[in-house]
Amino acid sequence: MAYEISQLTKVYGNRTVLDIPLIKIEKGSIYALLGPNGAGKTTLLNILGFLEPPTTGNIIYQLHPVQFSEPYLQPLRKVIVMVEQHPILFTTTVYKNLEFGLKIRRIPKKERDLIIEESLDLVGMRHFIQAPAHRLSGGETQRVAIARALAVNPQVLLCDEPTSSVDAENQVAIINILRQINGIKKITIVFTTHDRFQVTSLAHHILFLDHGKLSTDNGDNLFTANKFSEHGLLGPTRSHS
Amino acid sequence: MDFFVDSLYSALLLVASLDPEMVAIVTVSLKVSGTSTLLASLMGVPFGFLVAFESFPGKRMLITCLNTLLALPTVAIGLFVYAFISRRGIFGPLDLLYTQKAIVIGQTLLILPIVATFTIAAISKIDERYRKTAMTLGANRWQTALVVFREARFGIVAAIIAAFGRVIAEVGISMMLGGNARGFTRTITTAMALEYDKGQFTLAVALGIILIGLSFGINLLFHFFQGRTRV
Repeated sequence: MAYEISQLTKVYGNRTVLDIPLIKIEKGSIYALLGPNGAGKTTLLNILGFLEPPTTGNIIYQLHPVQFSEPYLQPLRKVIVMVEQHPILFTTTVYKNLEFGLKIRRIPKKERDLIIEESLDLVGMRHFIQAPAHRLSGGETQRVAIARALAVNPQVLLCDEPTSSVDAENQVAIINILRQINGIKKITIVFTTHDRFQVTSLAHHILFLDHGKLSTDNGDNLFTANKFSEHGLLGPTRSHS
Repeated sequence: MDFFVDSLYSALLLVASLDPEMVAIVTVSLKVSGTSTLLASLMGVPFGFLVAFESFPGKRMLITCLNTLLALPTVAIGLFVYAFISRRGIFGPLDLLYTQKAIVIGQTLLILPIVATFTIAAISKIDERYRKTAMTLGANRWQTALVVFREARFGIVAAIIAAFGRVIAEVGISMMLGGNARGFTRTITTAMALEYDKGQFTLAVALGIILIGLSFGINLLFHFFQGRTRV
């Protein structure tokens, strides 16, 4: 089990954005996190990434209870990486962007170079290695951001709507990348999306958030197309072309 | 009109001939203003960065106070520092009055709020996602701060250049605390004021040309770095 979270709440002012009695996330699986805008998906991802603390609740990560104090969280952040909906790259080269996390982990230069090349290969961006990161297109930025996250070899990859701001070609490429890294590296992936195609083609499990409350498929993937249609929250199913 | 043209012509000749007195005055100005800019940067940049980066009670009030200090007149600072370093002041025994050090102290106080507030503005403009990205990649607090600092680097350099532009052109502090001693504390602006008083315009105009040239160069640099922040 990667995560076991109980009695989780997140309150901003007097508004409760998350209220989840129990959520379990299995190691090595892909989870789709669904829900309408404002349902609390990004907040939940931020909590899973230990980027913000819950208001109340107990989080157990890999069988260890998590304390939300900075010295305790920083080692956890070294194994859980989040890629935002609109990722931002540091204003330097693509190489330096990928090198950042590796330098923090004190990985020797030779090894760093190999990892960077390998990670860029994985997302098909090797030829951009020395390109200025701020000159990349939206799709290229998204792919480099994924490569930057993969370079640090995380146990968990959290992706906030990874394909929402890219064209169809890049959407397919990103889905393939996520599937590939889960298959090869057994990285646990949690991604948010509104796209039914992504859910059915990529996710092993589905979590559905609505007004901060969670529904799950109990691990058997029953919570798929029909259920979504019942909720009326997803668009029409897309073909796999 | 002839008077102006003659003065301008003589001044240009003076600049071209690198007149030793003129060079000495420019050297003093650059040395004093450079030192005060360096000191103000060493204090103001980390201070501004901390204020912008950290959250603490009274932060908004502190920023308001710093913004108020931007409008301090040079003569007020001159008077304030004079009270401390004159013979009757608590730092009187250090014999600082009418020295280059006195000008440096006054000018540093003048531009410290400029460096700090411009640094705060530069850091505050940095997208919050940089901090979040650094954190999620495993950076500790210090490494995250460095990322934010690095992203704000052009804005911070622009703050330092703006501060230098302010001190190189100020006259009140240099006059009150430096005393305009020839070859010692005479800066471009105090020399210009003196030459004007004497009715000898050639050196004043020559120094004016140099000052305008310096200001132009500083502004070019400022706009270059400001432009880089928008890349």
